[in-house]
Amino acid sequence: MNSILLTLVQFVATLAIAPFVVGLVRLFKARLQGRHGASPFLPYITYATLLKKQMVISKSTSWVFRLVPFVVLASTLFLVCVLPLVVFGGALSHLGHFMIIAGVLALGTAFLVMGGLESASAFGGMGASREMTLASLVEPAMIATFATFAVVTGAFTVDTMFASANILTSPALLPAIAALIMIALAENARYPVDNPATHLELTMVHEAMVLEYSGPYLAMLEYASGLKLTIFSLLVANVLFPMTLAVDATLIAIIMALGWMIIKVVIVSFLLALLESMIAKMRFYRMQEYLTIAFFFALAGLVFALIHITL
Amino acid sequence: MNAQEILHNVKLSGTTQGSLVTVERVSQDAFTLLCNRLSLEFKLPLSLLYATDNRKKGKGFGVHVLFSLDASHEWLLVETSLPEANPTYESLTKTIMEAHWYERYAMDMFGIKAEGHPDPRRLVHHENVPKNTHPLRKDFAWNTKMEHANEPYPMHHIEGEGIFEIPVGPIHAGIIEPGHFRFNVAGERIITLEGKLFFTHKGVEKLMEGKTVEEALPYIERISGDMSASFSLAYALALENLSHTNVPECAQQLRVLVTELERITMHTHDIANMAGMGTGFTVMAAHGFRVKEKMMRLSERVFGNRFWRGYIAPGGVSKSLSVEELRDIQKTTKEVVDEMQDLFELGRHSDGLRERLETTGVLAKDVAVAFGALGLSARGSGVDRDVRRDHPYAAYGEMKPEVLTFEKGDVYARWKLRALEMIESMKLVEAVCSSNNEGATHVEVQAKDGMGIGAVEAWRGETLVAVYVENGRITRCVPRDPSFCNWALFGAIGPGNIIPDFPLCNKSLDLSYSGTDL
Repeated sequence: MNSILLTLVQFVATLAIAPFVVGLVRLFKARLQGRHGASPFLPYITYATLLKKQMVISKSTSWVFRLVPFVVLASTLFLVCVLPLVVFGGALSHLGHFMIIAGVLALGTAFLVMGGLESASAFGGMGASREMTLASLVEPAMIATFATFAVVTGAFTVDTMFASANILTSPALLPAIAALIMIALAENARYPVDNPATHLELTMVHEAMVLEYSGPYLAMLEYASGLKLTIFSLLVANVLFPMTLAVDATLIAIIMALGWMIIKVVIVSFLLALLESMIAKMRFYRMQEYLTIAFFFALAGLVFALIHITL
Repeated sequence: MNAQEILHNVKLSGTTQGSLVTVERVSQDAFTLLCNRLSLEFKLPLSLLYATDNRKKGKGFGVHVLFSLDASHEWLLVETSLPEANPTYESLTKTIMEAHWYERYAMDMFGIKAEGHPDPRRLVHHENVPKNTHPLRKDFAWNTKMEHANEPYPMHHIEGEGIFEIPVGPIHAGIIEPGHFRFNVAGERIITLEGKLFFTHKGVEKLMEGKTVEEALPYIERISGDMSASFSLAYALALENLSHTNVPECAQQLRVLVTELERITMHTHDIANMAGMGTGFTVMAAHGFRVKEKMMRLSERVFGNRFWRGYIAPGGVSKSLSVEELRDIQKTTKEVVDEMQDLFELGRHSDGLRERLETTGVLAKDVAVAFGALGLSARGSGVDRDVRRDHPYAAYGEMKPEVLTFEKGDVYARWKLRALEMIESMKLVEAVCSSNNEGATHVEVQAKDGMGIGAVEAWRGETLVAVYVENGRITRCVPRDPSFCNWALFGAIGPGNIIPDFPLCNKSLDLSYSGTDL
């Protein structure tokens, strides 16, 4: 009963805060660049407006085009249910084996790519091809990162990994956490990999794939990407501060965890906005270097961890 | 070698009008040979090629080629007449590549055929324009309604495994004018790239015909909103050249002031736009556009509009500036230039930004020369040309602005050049503001019959206006924006780059759609 309640709390809280995270990053970015910026609550209104709008769907698309938003959103919703974002020990947390997490993320990506290809427009195809290039580089780095956590903590579900007492005691995790941050940026189409604010179709990755979507489907995809950003923000913060999560379903613990969640997303949003205001986007052909660095960080962590446990 | 010596060499003679030497009535056959000789033997850059319709006077069609003699500050105009029944001549483009668009333009607009043009496709006319439509012929009424045709308008394209064609535009996501780009790519690498422009033809040239010289000024000022001052100055210079008017010293100084202010405004915009929007280094864009707004508001305070418009007129300038206004200009501009230098330093020290700009979109010097590249794009590739020095006008003869060039020819060179040119412009602005600006600002221009040429180094590059007046009315006016020569450059600098870097290459050239699509 307790664990169901915890999962429900996490589910509702994360879903509710996701648009705020997107708006907050935009606000921080605007302020850092000397602009006034829109309210951080604007994305709620944007999504609500999109839901009311009519959809324009190209006649050349098949049923896959219409399936994509559901699969992409469902894959992120699954992650919200199983990952330790606000609480530990949720009812579904045992499903969060790290290979499953990587698989579900890949599933979302694969469908997004298919959505980009469906309408056979040049930009969608371009975005899809770039996304596949990136995905093939992100995936091994992500698995290596979580494998490091698994070796250090002896657990295979992300929930137990993060809850483990020795999460911050092993030096092997330092490069793994660095890799996790780099992967989080790439996975969420943020700087230096992709520019979520650009209007230049020729430079887009994630945005190019959703260009053909409109109305409620676009709202679903945008919401899913906001949700993913929230998930990764919390995940990165939770590795460093696992004590901020609720472990039992008492009112105080839950309120504390929710308060911490807001503080965590505000800090992560600020840091992300700061990063995006400080650097230029990387040249696309530098991506493999960036993601190879992430992979080698993760691999270094894994090697340290393996040496550590064998000694 | 000056124009007379060159003409002596080729055993011809010309008439002189100020710095313009004209060789009239070259025969149809000798015309191309002469032009080729001037280009190959004497290395004269072809600055302009345009056609005229003189059939009313029984002279058929005229083709006019303007060569620039930078060293002796002269222009050499070579003219030929083509019979109405057979308006053809041997294409110059076969030898002088700079002529490629001009000749295609004349083929569309006048039906004058350049025999043996290597690329005789349509340029201005799209598929929907019927065959044998030549809008700039005198017997074509400006309000003619045309049938909707479906003529072929082929674009370059290549085939092969893994080659994709990416059509972009004419509607774009940003607030820019319409233009269609066709990329052929292998993966992300651009193999060929071509543009299709002229979507919003305004008919400026046609509309100006029959107007008095005063009536035509607003048309010329509005050709390209970011070059209002430069275009009106080029037009004024053409008329003054035609009517041998001497503009008062004070007005000459103020003309320098306004065109330099325009340069600073637009360089501010470009520095921000290239580094900010082109690479996603958004902090540059946010601050650069804020700073640019200061210049536009300055224009509004002093001239009553945001585009440095309505000030320069044939015969001088429209008003003298008070001491307070000059002080305001100097103070605001200094602030703007200083702030932009800070931003430029910020960008210059960002490794990520440098990495994006350097080695991107390289324009080799020989390519720049072959295409007749103008302005910043040419100077960034080591072509040392600047109208302010090579054909001095207004007060530039005494002021002697320094002409900066870079050799690399990449986006970074063009970006850096803008920041450094701003400092030079600031020196000129300060010189004008602190000098004595009293005296007459305007003289009456007695519009005589004849033709005149005006050349201005606008912020974008060499801007030319050739104007023909008869009985106080314009019979033909040819405004030539530097973009007309520079548009073809992106086809040369694009290939080899990757698609996501193309917007950056394009922004670094900052081409005008409106200035090209008259």
